Amino acid sequence: MRLVRYTQPALSRSLSPLPGALPRSPWSGLETEIDRFFEAALGDLAGVHLAENRFPVDLYEDKDNIFVRAELPGVARADLNVEMVEDYLTLAGSRKTPAGEGAKEESFAFSRSVSIPESVQSEKVSAVFENGVLLVTLPKREEAKPKKITIAVK
Amino acid sequence: MSLINTLIPSFNRAPARRHSRSGAVDIGPAVKPAYEIRETDEAFGVTVHLPGVAKEGLELTAEEGVFRVVGRRSWKRPEAWTILYRETSDVPYELVLQHENVIDVDKIHAELADGILRISLPKSEAIKPRKITVS
Repeated sequence: MRLVRYTQPALSRSLSPLPGALPRSPWSGLETEIDRFFEAALGDLAGVHLAENRFPVDLYEDKDNIFVRAELPGVARADLNVEMVEDYLTLAGSRKTPAGEGAKEESFAFSRSVSIPESVQSEKVSAVFENGVLLVTLPKREEAKPKKITIAVK
Repeated sequence: MSLINTLIPSFNRAPARRHSRSGAVDIGPAVKPAYEIRETDEAFGVTVHLPGVAKEGLELTAEEGVFRVVGRRSWKRPEAWTILYRETSDVPYELVLQHENVIDVDKIHAELADGILRISLPKSEAIKPRKITVS
C-alpha cells in the first residue's frame, strides 16, 4: 500500500458539460480518485524505478550492540555519509554511474534515517562497507545492557 | 506417517520440480535482482545490482540462448543477533536472460564491484550491422 498525496481536483478535467459553469463539479472528486487509484495500482508495477531512492535496511541487536545493515550497491565509500544525531542514525549518500558505452553519466542521491531503539555510545559507532552492504555497529550504553547480578546464597 | 503413505501412495512421491526451460539446476526460492540492459552496436551491457554477493558466491552460465546469473549472499546473520526489523532477504538472486543466440559466448566479460555486476555480452560477428558498399 502506497500513500499518494491528495491533489486538488483539476477543474479543466472535470466531466461537467459546461466547464467553468460549475467551479466544483460533483464528478471532479471522483475522477481524481480514479486517477489516484490507477496511479497507485500501476505505479507498483514499475516499483523498482519509482522506489529507486529507497534502499532496504535491517535492524538487529545482540547483547552489547545494535546493528544496522543496509544494501547500497554501487555506492563508493567516499560518497557514503553515516551520521548519528540523538536517537537517529542517518545514512545518506549518492551513487554515481560513470558514463560508459551508450550511457550517460548518472547519479542519484538517497537518505534514510533509522530510529535507534536504545541509547548507544554514539562516539563508538563504527561502520563497514563490503560488497555493497553497509553494516553499522552501535555499542549499547552500559546502563542499557541487561544487568546480571549474582547473589551469593548463604 | 507411514500409514498415511500406504493409504495415499502419491504422498510418497518426491515433490514436483519447478519447470525450468534449459534444465538448469533449481536453486530453490530466489529473487530477481534489479538490472538494466543497454545496447551498442558491439555488445549488450548488463548491469545487475547484487548487494551482499561476493565473487565466490557468483555464478554465471551461458547456454544456448540463455544467460543466467546466480548470486548467493555471503553474509549470514550470526546466531546471537536478534532481528528487530528486517527489509532484506537471504534468498539468492537469480536472473535469467534469454537471447536469440546472438552472443559471442567466448568473449563475455564480467566484473563485480561493491555489489554491482557489470557484464558485457559481445554480439557475435554474424549479426553485427555491416555496411555494404554499392559498386
